[in-house]
Amino acid sequence: MKRLFVEGVGLLGPGLDGWSASRAVLAGKEAYLAAATNLHASDMLPAAERRRAGVPIKLALAVGQEAFMQSGCDMKMASTVFTSSGGDNDNVHAINGILATAPREVSPTRFHNSVHNAAAGYWCIAAESREPSTSLCAYDASFAAGLLESATQVSVEDAVVALIAYDHPYPQPLHAVRPIAAAFGMALILTPRQSEKSLAAIEVGFASGKVQESVMQDAGLEALRSGVPAARGLVLLQALASGKAAQVRIAYLEENHLDIRVTPC
Amino acid sequence: MAASAQEIELAQLIVTSLNLEVSADEIEPDAPLYGEGLGLDSIDILELSLAISKTYGVQLKSDDADNNKIFSSLRTLNEHIQQHRAK
Repeated sequence: MKRLFVEGVGLLGPGLDGWSASRAVLAGKEAYLAAATNLHASDMLPAAERRRAGVPIKLALAVGQEAFMQSGCDMKMASTVFTSSGGDNDNVHAINGILATAPREVSPTRFHNSVHNAAAGYWCIAAESREPSTSLCAYDASFAAGLLESATQVSVEDAVVALIAYDHPYPQPLHAVRPIAAAFGMALILTPRQSEKSLAAIEVGFASGKVQESVMQDAGLEALRSGVPAARGLVLLQALASGKAAQVRIAYLEENHLDIRVTPC
Repeated sequence: MAASAQEIELAQLIVTSLNLEVSADEIEPDAPLYGEGLGLDSIDILELSLAISKTYGVQLKSDDADNNKIFSSLRTLNEHIQQHRAK
């Protein structure tokens, strides 16, 4: 596949309060200390949207905004690919609770937030974007599906694409059957051409056959990577943070995977 | 005219149900709720109608011809609720 370029990174997770603040931890130069994910509603949103924003919206906008701030790209003009295994899991839990009890009157705000592309909608309001937007889910392979879709769009459409991946835990009892370890989001600004802001070139290849995935060097970060679908992309951030050439492997659905070659710029 | 106890109670319901960034005592009884003023939009009005139905037993319908009047301010909304409340 064609080379594309990473021009910005956004990150928000437990003990990972932004890409800039977490780079040394991901590169293994500083210890990883788990802490609650620092969630806040984006100041990019108008007041009405800000007060309706659930955890996924907070994650998606924070990482998207951080990634664009580093890049030379205009968020208004970029295509977006959002990917999440579950979407708004707090909202799913609350709506299930309402539907299980009479008179089954679902809150309009909860209904409004229940669609899988809610984050895309809030993002387009905040960024004032009318560019194409795609929202995906692919269970544990949600990050890989998002990266594959983004890389394809950059190559085929010759467009700047923001990939925004996020997931957060279900409350009980759903958590027991679909455990997601923490609230986590990450974003990549992917461009078709190198610029002075490019961090690295990446080539994304799709391959068949069950193979060993890349893992995180730190045990705590590895628990996060394996415990949150959106965090499967952490191995790519580990490679970017190291500043060295690397080959990263991320599992896709069934017995397929992505092979990603990372070359620093 | 200052807000009555009933109006303050309704203002509190509005703040809580809509997760507003203002406090109940900051809602002027005669200021518009919709659009300019408190800045509520159509989703807020639907959300508020549900909260009022649960709290006061007053059904507010989206096709009621008097909606503009009912929702014009905290005071008019409270008057409508007090006239029709079942709880």
